[in-house]
Amino acid sequence: MKLGLPGWWTASVAVAIAVALPAPSAAGPAGGTPAEMVATYNSLADGILALKRSEENLVKSILAATLAHGNVSYERARSAMEKGDAKAVTAALEALAADVGQLATEGDNAVGAVRKRLLEGGHHHNAAGEAQGIYDEGYVIVTRAAKAKLLESAKAIAGMAAAPKPDALAAEWKKIQDVVAGLMKGPQ
Amino acid sequence: MASGRRGRRALALLALWAAPVLLLHAGEGAAPEEASPSRFRFVDVAPELGLTRVVLAGRPGKDHLLDSAGTGAAWLDYDRDGRLDCYVVNDWRIDGDRVKERGRNALYRQREDGTFEDVTDATGTDGEGEWGAGVFVADYDADGWPDMLVTNFGRNVLYRNRGDGRFENVAARVGLEAPGWNTGAAWFDADADGDLDVYIAAYIDNTLEQILAAKPTLPWRGMAMVAVGPFGLEGGSDRFFRNDGGRFVDATVESGMGDKGRGFGFSVRAFDFDDDGDLDVYVANDSDPNYLYRNEGDGTFQEVATWTGLALDENGAAQASMGVAVGDATGDGLKDVFVNHFSEDFSTLYRGLGGGLYEDVSRRTGVGPATFTTLSWGTALADLDNDGDLDLAVMNGHIYPQINEHPELIGTYEQKNLLLENRGPDATPTFVDVTDAAGPGFAQVLSSRGLAVADYDDDGDLDMLITHLDAPPTLLRNDSRTGSWLVVVCEDERGGIVPIGTEVRVTAGGRTWWRDVASGDSYMSTHDPRPHFGLGSLETVDRVEVTWPDRTKSVRTNVPARQFLRIRKGT
Repeated sequence: MKLGLPGWWTASVAVAIAVALPAPSAAGPAGGTPAEMVATYNSLADGILALKRSEENLVKSILAATLAHGNVSYERARSAMEKGDAKAVTAALEALAADVGQLATEGDNAVGAVRKRLLEGGHHHNAAGEAQGIYDEGYVIVTRAAKAKLLESAKAIAGMAAAPKPDALAAEWKKIQDVVAGLMKGPQ
Repeated sequence: MASGRRGRRALALLALWAAPVLLLHAGEGAAPEEASPSRFRFVDVAPELGLTRVVLAGRPGKDHLLDSAGTGAAWLDYDRDGRLDCYVVNDWRIDGDRVKERGRNALYRQREDGTFEDVTDATGTDGEGEWGAGVFVADYDADGWPDMLVTNFGRNVLYRNRGDGRFENVAARVGLEAPGWNTGAAWFDADADGDLDVYIAAYIDNTLEQILAAKPTLPWRGMAMVAVGPFGLEGGSDRFFRNDGGRFVDATVESGMGDKGRGFGFSVRAFDFDDDGDLDVYVANDSDPNYLYRNEGDGTFQEVATWTGLALDENGAAQASMGVAVGDATGDGLKDVFVNHFSEDFSTLYRGLGGGLYEDVSRRTGVGPATFTTLSWGTALADLDNDGDLDLAVMNGHIYPQINEHPELIGTYEQKNLLLENRGPDATPTFVDVTDAAGPGFAQVLSSRGLAVADYDDDGDLDMLITHLDAPPTLLRNDSRTGSWLVVVCEDERGGIVPIGTEVRVTAGGRTWWRDVASGDSYMSTHDPRPHFGLGSLETVDRVEVTWPDRTKSVRTNVPARQFLRIRKGT
């Protein structure tokens, strides 16, 4: 009525729905949800759950790509250390530190903006994990413990520019790789 | 109403503690005019000196965050008569969804007798009817006179000082109006071309219609409805403007300062965080990681906050950052950064480690525990007792008046400001809360926001100009028992105001102190442009070294203390 629809239209729709709905089974309970609707809902659930899995896969891809980029920076740093090229060492270590920082935060500030949008929309990928203090708000893969380790490593690597030591860098990089490998398997 | 509730809370405490002890500790509230037992003593002289204009602040219920964002203030000698004047930004008063009154900013000129006269109309600086945020003083056109950028919710105003006692708004002409919810800003020479560029932060992307229609709809602990945000609202985009021959060109993206996280930006501080000779930009974001844009030396910037340690706290969490202070708080010769935050979260002191790296030392220095309950805004690292180390002044006030209904939970909407005394690098904790022994000025309970520190009366100690919501400003005159001091007054080649980015190092008694000249500090404010040094018992300074923005230096040796040392560039 509020929409101003004519009475004949409302009546026609009611008849059409009655015809379209399957007749209740003689054996089944009266008023049960039609199986077709349950099937459709199931399909929708597949989609919703697939979206969540896709979010996990996407963040894992971000981590993997960042780790790969970090590996390049790591090799550059090692090479520069061997050559004694202080300027190149500093540049490579800073690039590596930035990569490790982005591992800690599941991407750069632009990803942070997306995460903020999702939170504003009420989406918490790890709602239960957040409540237990395992994850920061909106984080998908990186736990708080892993984040702390990675942030510490980022700063440690940046600090190596003052006194570059290949062995110390290798040890720090190994720690980072182990943390990320653990994250890829599941919560730490 | 609020003070009555605080009184009831005090009575409840009486039941818990021995009455005589409590009476001793409650002294500052009961008899605020009594002499402070410590060497600190601050007295509010704003009413008697003529700083009386009320700063309006939206609706009584603070239905939108804009209602409670407050304003900044600045110290400047606008007429170059040798006495500091001050400027206080104003907001609007709203009734329901109607604008009742557009507040007028105030420029107060200091007379010879130390009182202030309101020269807003005579100088043409009332803010043009905009909803004000901060004020940032610099000589952007290099004519020797201090100009003022006033950021606004709306169009920014750039008051060019004509040098004849009047200002003109040239924001539209030079391209700086940049409509939006502009907040903190910083003038600095980003590309070493000799002129000043400017970074302007933005908070939330809202229209006036949205703000007028806002209702408090966010449940607060199931007890009251309060203003929504900042989560749930869209962050505004910070902007960087390059000075291109007197016209400002939006160079945000090409400079690399693209605000990719759309952070809720509040305060901006330009300083040389890595001591490489150029100015970098630090942006305090509310509820988002802070930004640190490192100057690459070629006019471009790289965001490096995460790995330098300045984006997050020691737990790896983003905090609700409001105000910023920079200085050598720990006395090790390296720059430290202080950022203050929302209530029930500590304010953070980042200690410089050298090489541009920082670590959160809030807990171990005592800063964290002392600041946990308050909601903090304006701040300064300043040597308030001239003993040679930097103390911390922290301005406080909540954004939800509704919490006054339950003061037992997190205190009240109006809050005391904090004075944290630096007891020196060997003390544990380094910073001690001496608020209750700092005189009647620190017994005031208001909802404070901006803080601009200056030695306005030229007596060698630092005073504090504080803005509040729905109240006139406070000017806390420093009557503390203080040590020796030196103020370095830097001028450009023609005797014009000090160039932004100038650094001063003073060496005496085996120590070196560092200060810089910034426009954009604290919470949307500008401090005294004359670097001040507390010297303790020293009466002579071995060396004063001024590093000008073009990296040339001026040096003076064997300088007597307790003076305003004037140094002109090129001499």
